[in-house]
Amino acid sequence: MNTEVADTTNLSEKKDFLVNSSSLKDVRSFSREVFEKFKINEELREELVLAIAEAAQNIVKHAYKDYPDTQDRMAVRISCTDKELEISFFDKGKPVEKSKVKHRAIDDVKPGGLGTFFIQEIMDSIKFKEGDKPWINNLVLTKKL
Amino acid sequence: MTYKVTEEGDASTVFLDGEIDMDKTEGAKEVIFPLIDAGKNVNLNLSNVQYMDSSGISVLIESHQKALEKGTKLIVKDVSKSVLKVIMMAKLEQILNLE
Repeated sequence: MNTEVADTTNLSEKKDFLVNSSSLKDVRSFSREVFEKFKINEELREELVLAIAEAAQNIVKHAYKDYPDTQDRMAVRISCTDKELEISFFDKGKPVEKSKVKHRAIDDVKPGGLGTFFIQEIMDSIKFKEGDKPWINNLVLTKKL
Repeated sequence: MTYKVTEEGDASTVFLDGEIDMDKTEGAKEVIFPLIDAGKNVNLNLSNVQYMDSSGISVLIESHQKALEKGTKLIVKDVSKSVLKVIMMAKLEQILNLE
């Protein structure tokens, strides 16, 4: 499902995706299309696409760690005002344990543990909320424009 | 992602392309790791990789560390601007052998 609210000062688009690693390219395509429509410059656009893809990847890898063949869907909503972008993720996976969400020490070079670091580097704020039914998790990322 | 491998002396060059994400990392490892295991120096040409996320970066780290363990060398070549930005964000530009 893809919904759009067109307004000159407040734009919002939402789309849902199967929770699967093969959906990540579709999440990126959706995000690029939306940011192009929102007239976000290319450099910032690609940073935001990376942050979004990392957050979606975390849902696949962590919230659905024990359910690789799930048919559940996750939703991504991108909203933009004149001054701020808000990107929300909704999923029905395992509830996020906020205390366990951390990246590895950046100078401890080893594979893994960078996704959350990239999100923190790119975005201004990261908030984990309980999702309104039927969702379990609602991650909200914001970035001042 | 598609790939091509060329051989020259004791070095193999792996040309990857497309977007390297969680869905593509196993395929990348299946190409790179056997070459390192065989004692080859590996040039990883990323000129046609337009996008790489943390999963792709993990493949670079794992390949680099595997090469060190095996006494060979992994050189990451012709990195596109967008991928270099991610490598720098991960603060790996001084760790990986970039050319």
